[in-house]
Order: sequence, then C-alpha cells, then structure tokens
Amino acid sequence: MDLPAQVWMQAIVNGFALGWLYVLMALGLTLILSIMGILQLAHGEVYMIGAYVTYYCCVSFGVNLYASMFISMAVMAGFGLFLERFLFRPVRAQILAPIVISLGLTLILMSTAVVGFGLYERSIPRLAQGSFVFLGSAVPKDRIIAVGFAVGLLLLLYLFLKKSKYGQAMVASAQSWEGAILRGISPNMMSSMAMAIGCALAAAGGTLAGSILMLTPSMGTLPLVKGLVIIVLGGMGSFLGAAVGGVFLGLVDGIIPVAFSPGLTSLAPLVVVILILLARPQGLFGHE
Amino acid sequence: MALLEIHNLSKRFGGLTAVSELDLDVGQGEIFGLIGPNGAGKTTVLNMVGGTFFPTRGKIIFKDEDITRFPPYRRARRGITRVFQRDVLFRSLTVLENVLAGLYMSSSTGFTEIFFKRLSIHGQEKALYEKAVEILQFVKLDQLADEMAINLPHGNQRALCLAIALATQAQLLLLDEPLTGMNQEEIKAMMHMIRTLRDEKGITSVVVEHNMRAVVGLCDRAAVLDYGRKIAEGSPKEVVNNPAVIEAYLGKEDDAV
Amino acid sequence: MSRKLLINLVIIVVLAAVLIILPIALNNVYWTSILVIMGVNILLVSSLRTIKLVGHISLGHVGFSLIGAYGSALLVMKLGLSFWAAIFLGGLMAAVVALALAYPFLKVKGIYFALLTLLTAETFRLIVWYWPSLTGGFWGLLKIPSPNPIPIPLIGTINFANINNYYYLTAFIVSLSLFVLYRLERSHLGFKWIAIQDTEVLAQSVGINVKWHKMLNFAIACFFAGIAGALYAHYQHSLSPDATSRFGVLMSIYLVVYMVVGGESKFAGPIIGTVVLTVISEFGRALGEYQPMMIGAIAVFVMLLMPEGLIGLPNRGKLLYRKLLNQTQRMRRS
Repeated sequence: MDLPAQVWMQAIVNGFALGWLYVLMALGLTLILSIMGILQLAHGEVYMIGAYVTYYCCVSFGVNLYASMFISMAVMAGFGLFLERFLFRPVRAQILAPIVISLGLTLILMSTAVVGFGLYERSIPRLAQGSFVFLGSAVPKDRIIAVGFAVGLLLLLYLFLKKSKYGQAMVASAQSWEGAILRGISPNMMSSMAMAIGCALAAAGGTLAGSILMLTPSMGTLPLVKGLVIIVLGGMGSFLGAAVGGVFLGLVDGIIPVAFSPGLTSLAPLVVVILILLARPQGLFGHE
Repeated sequence: MALLEIHNLSKRFGGLTAVSELDLDVGQGEIFGLIGPNGAGKTTVLNMVGGTFFPTRGKIIFKDEDITRFPPYRRARRGITRVFQRDVLFRSLTVLENVLAGLYMSSSTGFTEIFFKRLSIHGQEKALYEKAVEILQFVKLDQLADEMAINLPHGNQRALCLAIALATQAQLLLLDEPLTGMNQEEIKAMMHMIRTLRDEKGITSVVVEHNMRAVVGLCDRAAVLDYGRKIAEGSPKEVVNNPAVIEAYLGKEDDAV
Repeated sequence: MSRKLLINLVIIVVLAAVLIILPIALNNVYWTSILVIMGVNILLVSSLRTIKLVGHISLGHVGFSLIGAYGSALLVMKLGLSFWAAIFLGGLMAAVVALALAYPFLKVKGIYFALLTLLTAETFRLIVWYWPSLTGGFWGLLKIPSPNPIPIPLIGTINFANINNYYYLTAFIVSLSLFVLYRLERSHLGFKWIAIQDTEVLAQSVGINVKWHKMLNFAIACFFAGIAGALYAHYQHSLSPDATSRFGVLMSIYLVVYMVVGGESKFAGPIIGTVVLTVISEFGRALGEYQPMMIGAIAVFVMLLMPEGLIGLPNRGKLLYRKLLNQTQRMRRS
C-alpha cells in the first residue's frame, strides 16, 4: 500500500469523475423508474449511442466539442421521446412486457452500434488539456471539467424539479399517479419528459465518458450495471441517494483496484448491493 | 372455554395507537359483532386475529392455543379464515377452482400424487371435486361452477368468498364488512347465509359492520370500539341504546342505520 | 381410454419418433450439436417458466446453470465421480444455493427481484473468474470428459463422445426433466404456485405457506438449471466464465426472450419459442453481427403485437376466423 501520493491522487480523481458519470446514468434510470415504473435496461445503450453521436458531430463534422455534446443530448432526448411513445407507452401497465422490450432494445441498439460503428475503439477529444497541481500532485483538468458538467446537470435537474411547474408535476406523479391525474397532469406528458430528460442525461454521461475514456459499442453495459447498483443503494426515486451512491461507487472503482486487487472491484459492489437489498428491500434511501 | 380469547390487545403504528388494551371473548357458535365509528380500530383488530400483522402487546388465544405470532397460513390451518372487505378471489381461476384451492389445503402433495396423478388414488381427486360441488351448492353457486371468478356479480363474489372459507374448514370466520355495497335483497341473503353457517355447520363469526340494523338482526353479542378502546359490550340491543355508544357515533360522521 | 388421453398418447409417440429419427435423418454433426444446445436451452427456459408460475422473473438463471456446469465438471475431474452422479449432484448444488438464497430473495418485490437475480448471476460468474485455482479462472475449465461409455451386452458400447449418442442422452435427460416439471405444474403443488401468483394474500388465508412454496419453487427450477448446465459442460468439454459466454448477462436476456416469444401461458410455449428462435438464429448466422438485432427486434415485435407469444397464435387465428365469419354473415344479410 506504499504508493506515491501521485498515484493515490490519480486514483481518487479518476474514481471521483467516474462516480459522477455513474450518477448521470443513475439519475436517468431513477427518473424513468419512478415515473414510468419501467426498468430501462437499454439505458446503457442510450449512453453509448450518445457518445457516438457526439463523436460524429465533433470528429466528422468538426463541430465544437461542447456544442456537439448538447446536440447529442438533444438528439438522444428526441430518441427517448420516440422510444417512449412507440415502445413503452403501449405496455406501460404490464410487468413483464417493458422488461422484455428494454431487453430487446438493448440487443437491437448494441448490434446496430457494432454494425454501424465498428468494434475498434475511438476517442473523443479531451475536454481540456493538461493538469493543475492540487495538494502536491498533478490533477488532470478534463476530469474536473467532466465532474463540473455532471454536477451542473444535477443542479439543473434539481432546480427543474423544485421550481418549474413541469418539474413539480413530475415529482408529484412519481409519488402518486392518482394524485397527479387528479391535478390534471397528463401521465403521457410525464412519461415523455422523464424519458427525454433521462436520455439526455445518459447522452451527456456517455459523451463525458468517451472523452475521458474510450468509445466502444459495449461501453454502456458496465455503467448500466453500476447505475442499477446505485438505484438500489439510493432507493428508487431518491436523487440524493443516487448522487451519494454514485460518487461512492466511483471512488470504490477508482481506489480499490489500486489498493487491492481488481477482482475485488467487480465483486464488492455487487455483494454489497445484494446484502443491502436483502436487509432493506426498499434500498438504502428509498421508501416502500 | 371461549373459542377465541383476546387479552389486553394493543397495536401502535409509530406514534398512533390504533387499538388499546382490548379484552374480548367469543364463544363457540356465536355471531359476534364488532362495531364503532370510522377509524375505531375494528379492522385492525380483525387484522391481528387474522395474522396480517402482529400486536404490539397482548395475546390472542384460539382453541386454547396462543396464536399471537402465527403467520396467516398457520391460523388458516387451525381454523381461522379471514374474508376480506374487497372481495379477494383468485382472479384467473373459475368458481370451482377457487373452492378447490381451499380444499387443497388439507390435501397431500406426495410423490405419487405429483407424478402419477392418474394412477394414484384417483378417489381422492374425485372426492375433492365432489366436496367442492357440495360447497357450491350450499352457497347456491353450483350453476356458475365454470365461470371465471372475476365475472361474477358482486353479491355472488361475496358468496364465493364464504365458499372458499367453508372449504378451508373454517371454525372461525372473520368477516370484514360483508354487507357493504349490497342491496336489500343481497343483504338479507348474506345474513341468512351467515346464520345458516352457524346453525348447520357450527361456524363462529366475528363480523365488523357499519350497518346497525344488520348488526342488531344478525349478531348474538357485540362490542363497540372507539379510538381503539372497547366502550361497550353486550347484546346488540343493549349496545345500540348505550348512551356512551350513541355519543361516540354522534361525534363522528356516521353512516349507520 | 378417453379421447383426450388417446390424442395425448399419439402426440407423445409421434414426438418421440421424431426425436429419435432426427439425428439420423439430418446426418450432420453441426446440426446435431445445435440440437444438443437446443435441448439444454429448452430445459433452461422451461425451468425459467416454473419460476414465473409463482410470479417472479429471474434474470439470473444462468448463474445456477453455471453452478451445475462447473459443479458437475469438477466432481468428475477432481473427485472422479461418474457422470450420472455428478450431473445429479451438480443440479443439487444449484438447488441448495437457490434454497439458501431464496428466503431473503423472495422478500424483494417484482423488478428488484429480477435485478437481484441478475446481479447474483454476475456475482457467481465473477467468483468463478477470480478463482483460477479451482475453476481455471478466465482460462476456462478444459478437457471435461464425456460420460463413460456404457456397455450393453450383446450389442456393444455406447460411446458418448459420439455426438449422436450425446444427443440421445440429452434428449432423454431433458425429456425426463420436462416430464417432471410438467407433472409438478399440474399437481396440487403447481396449483398452489398458481394461486400464490394470482392473489398471495388469499393463498395465505387459505392455509398455503407462501414463503415455503416459493422457496421450493425456486429451488426446483434452479435444480433443473443446474442439470442443464451440467449437460452443457460434458458436451462442450470446456467452460468459460467470460462475459460473452452462455453464463453472461446476454444469455439471461436470450432466455427471457425465448420464453416470452414462445408464450409463457402454456407449458409448451417456452419450448416452441426456443426451437423457433434457435432455428432462426442458426439461419441468421450468416448475418453475423445482425443476429442480436434480429432477436431483439422479434422480442419487441412480439411484445407489442402478440403478447401471448407464439402459443397464442391458434387462439388468435380462431378469433380472427370468427370475426371474418361474422362479417361475411352480416354482409350477406344486408
């Protein structure tokens, strides 16, 4: 465990940044789960495609990176609207059907990506070059900017839910369907918005991941699993829980491989989640 | 010895006391009414006797056995059957199958039965089937044996719930507002059914009800709850004319009589 | 003998005949191996349906298949047990683990249960991956032997390295297992399971020990998942805990898709789904990377348009026929 401070700093920063990417994933999943009641298992693929859209905007068409990210978020939000309207809305009331549809969607999107984008890895240009010195070690700037974006999006979402009319409606419908309908809120609109926002967040996460890490067609699977883990840790519908859980998980992912063995990294969160679900079937922060 | 004894029963949900220090005895063959204004805790008592949740304090003794902490299925096997307020039936099964479900409780699931159903004691299967038909005849539903349970009108669904209870060889029925949502004729029929169950099969019933006229007409004895406490007990006539009881009802919105 | 019984017997005899003749008629090693895999998958999907009978969806069935596969292989290779003992014990190990996990697992509701099973299967897979001393880790477990040859007096020896013979072995074990599952479903036990799925509260009231019955259900289903895994192990002669293997998340998805496309309302549904989709996959093999897309598209299509699955088609056909009949009658009258 006697590693130089630089390595520790790198591990922590990496973990911290990763954690926030997981948070973006989890926020979308949680939104969709609490408002639509659907476990969107294809969300990882949305994340992945978001990254590729940014890549094409930025690398192939030469659009500015930040603009590309927003374009990607808009495109994926639109895609989300399409998915909600035609795939998920017809089966909203059922239990098995949405799961199967999201599974089928995963298969479709993943192989579309393999066919369309090819298997080899690509990379989106870095958000920023270089690093600055913090506590005596070098910290890469792009990680911090990524975190900045993620935190910014989280705050935007929070403000939207708290202050805007539609946002408050969403919170209301997450807690009680009937109450929302009685107040004249349309469930369809709520679902559409949840899906659109969720997909936009995933696209942002994918883009940031593509910049910090690599783009491959399978890049969405792991974050999806992490996202699911976070939902459990944070409880369905709890945004604070999602944020805390995500950062925690990211730090675990960043530090444990360095401090211990990689084996533990993959196993530990799963085991922790299983234990938590068993002890508290509603998740850590969730309510029954 | 009373069939059902409730000793010092209390139930708290967080800071709210739903039932407090209840003592009650129900004798074999009685039709016992449990009444009181809304929110008095009547359904909570029924839930505790039925096993939906456990009391915070107190004991429930059934046939000299302490069943306070038994899960619902164990109580069912001892002879306590809960009939729920909103008709709870097996929705994907027919009327006959619903009754069979109740009968299967006493059936065996042995090796031969599972793998060689036709070769096994064919008699047992036939006997169960005949018993089910018999029960349906008793509640006058035998003509509808092959209908899907969910397709039945409200009154018939109630009757089916009773049939299922019969199938489980219930000795104590816990009826949660069995007359709600019925018209005059249906009410009369249900009251007659409950009485017949007692007269012909010796089944004891604890009935939670709001319909005062029915309580007076049906029950042998009754107890009144208010804010989780028993405020009166005795024959229905006594109880209904008890000033404390009238007071309790006047103070709330009552939907009685 | 009643008419229904007679029809059933005829169907069984015909099916048996087809099963027996198939490998000889095909006379093709590749296709016969496909049949073996299909058999394994049929058992997996049918036992998945068993879990659905109590109202739960398991996305981690492959995890128990993994236990059976590695369990059986290791028992043969490290302890020298015979195939027959090993496969049974492999299933038993899966069942025991399932039983142990069932009590806490089944407290968790609906979606969370599916999630939990998914994570559990992944955990099993990762445990195998990170335990090379026992399982060979990511290098895989290699050189798993075929079952020992069985000498039959006066005829000769049945050698199970021969794919046709292994096919018959698979067909035999899978058929036996399906028979057991089918009889269970139609027994009082199965009835209680269905009652539990329908209205759990009423099942309790009627004296059914819901927890125990759910546990039993889960253990039985996972037993057969283990058996299926073991069958696979001794056919493939090697096992890998790789994420893309048949013990990964993707396979869990395929199993659910097979079950749903076939239709989970009848016992034969998952079987039909598996057969149809396996055949389609094989013919689509030329399409390579498009294959998952095709399967995914079929899954979505079926869910949106024919939620009862393929097994619901005859009913749909009947309804459609009746509708057409009514319409022509109406036209004639007017």
